Amino acid sequence: MASSEIFNGLSRRSLIAAAAAMTGGAALAQNAPVAREKGPLVWMNMDQKELDDAYDQAVYAPNRATVLKRCVRNSELVRERLGAPRRFAYGPTAIEGLDVFSARTPNAPIMLFVHGGAWRAGLASQYHYAAETFVNAGAHYVVIDFANVGDVGGSLLTMADQIRRAVAWTYKNAASFGGDPERLYISGHSSGGHWAGVLLTTDWQKDYAVPANCIKGGVCGSGMFDLKPVRLSARSNYVKFTDETEQKLSAQRHLDKIVAPVAVVYGTDETPEFQRQSRDFAAAVKGAGKPVTLSVMEGYNHFEVMEQLGNPYSLFGRAALEVMKLRPA
Amino acid sequence: MDMTRRTVLASGAVVAAGGAAQAQAQAQPAPRERGPLVWMNMDQKELDDAYDQSVYAPNQPQLGKRRNANSELVRKRLAEPKRFSYGTTPIESMEVWTTSKPNAPVMVFVHGGAWRVGLAREHCYAAELYVNAGAHYAVLDFINVDQAGGDLMPMAEQIRRAIAWIGKNAASFGGDPDRIYVSGHSSGAHLAGATLVTDWAAFGAPAGIVKGAVLCSGIYDLKPARLSKRGAYVKFTDAMEDALSTQRHLARINCPVVLAYGTYETPEFQRQSRDFAAALKVAGKPVTLLVGEGYNHFEMPETFASPYGLLGRAVLEQMKLA
Repeated sequence: MASSEIFNGLSRRSLIAAAAAMTGGAALAQNAPVAREKGPLVWMNMDQKELDDAYDQAVYAPNRATVLKRCVRNSELVRERLGAPRRFAYGPTAIEGLDVFSARTPNAPIMLFVHGGAWRAGLASQYHYAAETFVNAGAHYVVIDFANVGDVGGSLLTMADQIRRAVAWTYKNAASFGGDPERLYISGHSSGGHWAGVLLTTDWQKDYAVPANCIKGGVCGSGMFDLKPVRLSARSNYVKFTDETEQKLSAQRHLDKIVAPVAVVYGTDETPEFQRQSRDFAAAVKGAGKPVTLSVMEGYNHFEVMEQLGNPYSLFGRAALEVMKLRPA
Repeated sequence: MDMTRRTVLASGAVVAAGGAAQAQAQAQPAPRERGPLVWMNMDQKELDDAYDQSVYAPNQPQLGKRRNANSELVRKRLAEPKRFSYGTTPIESMEVWTTSKPNAPVMVFVHGGAWRVGLAREHCYAAELYVNAGAHYAVLDFINVDQAGGDLMPMAEQIRRAIAWIGKNAASFGGDPDRIYVSGHSSGAHLAGATLVTDWAAFGAPAGIVKGAVLCSGIYDLKPARLSKRGAYVKFTDAMEDALSTQRHLARINCPVVLAYGTYETPEFQRQSRDFAAALKVAGKPVTLLVGEGYNHFEMPETFASPYGLLGRAVLEQMKLA
């Protein structure tokens, strides 16, 4: 490379590639010709930058901030219409709480939602926007808070324990808010979709003293089900991956533990890896002879998929209601 | 180029109006000399941009594909719609998604597309909301402005005739002719708006045939649209501008009107809805203005398809189906 091509350590071709990614929408970012030297492959056909990008939603979803703001605003509007949810503690620390939007019928099924945010951000209150999908269909909508990975020294195992305790608490205490513990379902999106996979492959009886089949079905939205490529990506800058973390929290490696129907959802405008993770997990669950559905949302990026949990006629809202054997209302 | 303070301000104003996130996704406009004002505080380029959705909605192609895909999904889930002809040419027809409830209300939808493009079959994505809530959903096909020689009047005439046809024939598909509502998006909201100021006697229909309207992101006074580059393909005349500027005929409006726009729409598409709402209010007509925070021109109509979306909620409430 000629020295005249070097600007602050970046080659001109890298700059052109970066500029194309910034100015384009999702489609342009995906279609722009690679105008930089490709490095050694680190995962499948991807070099380090491609893999990092494939685990960085901002590269493929330029409207991320807009959609997140919309979800926050629509959550406020839902609270205005339904009233504030009831708040319960499932553990001793302040963050270990959950919000319950109650169904109007007694002994109703429960949908427990685990939010995303790359494991490092997000609050239950930002995901209230989907409450009416469930409440009006006759189910409780439970959204859990939990520590983010930055607050627990980079350990996903600590987060996993918290989230599993929230589920066990909900199973044991369902009757206290009018829920039917024998109709407990879970869902999640993004890193919350990862947790949905983990919850579906948890050894509940051994580790949490609740029945092995305490979860009757789960919806994994835009999740990650094998952590190896994530570990190889820039996300390892803030997640302290170990072999144990990678192995225990890769749902796709514990298919034998799945005892409930699984619904997998992703959008065609997501990153290549987030599309592949969902496709591969659905295929693996099917290959293991377990009941699974795969819903592909055409023209939705990562955050636009998330937003659609609030629409019972969307593929995401519909998948969640169908796994509960409910209909849009 | 001689960079004046006004040029910098002009490009800055466009960025601010588009919203930070939207602007990020676009290439920065080159600084330019601001021209003479042609409408309110806008020069020609600013006005042209304010009537060009792609300038403010960089994800327009993605959302167009999504709308078509969601319409196709509806076709897979529901039984094929009934197809009715309301006129003599093939385009003068409609698809009606029917509910199983007897004597049910009818929602008519007029699609957008800058008066130039769009078909009913690409705009049926919201059908399930109506059918499941107990209403029929009639999505209209009609001539586009290029085929009509640049004249909007034949478009308005066809849509009015379609509504009169529904009034006369609703019973044939289980519809209640006394509960016909209209909705529309963009140029379709403009045309649906024009039905509210129609002399229905000329169509053999009762004056109160339309019981309510939900108009999303429309145009209600054509003057600025005429001054914009849309004048290059719409052959505006004084008569057309006046007849199809709904806001100039408020006295004829006799049903509740819901207007909606998104905060990421162009400045003019925001202003048109605000000004029409204010004018209706001053005229003592029942009007509701809904603002979709963080939605652009093409994200707004998607909310018709959810009972918990801004517009899905509005249509169900207006039809008393909520």
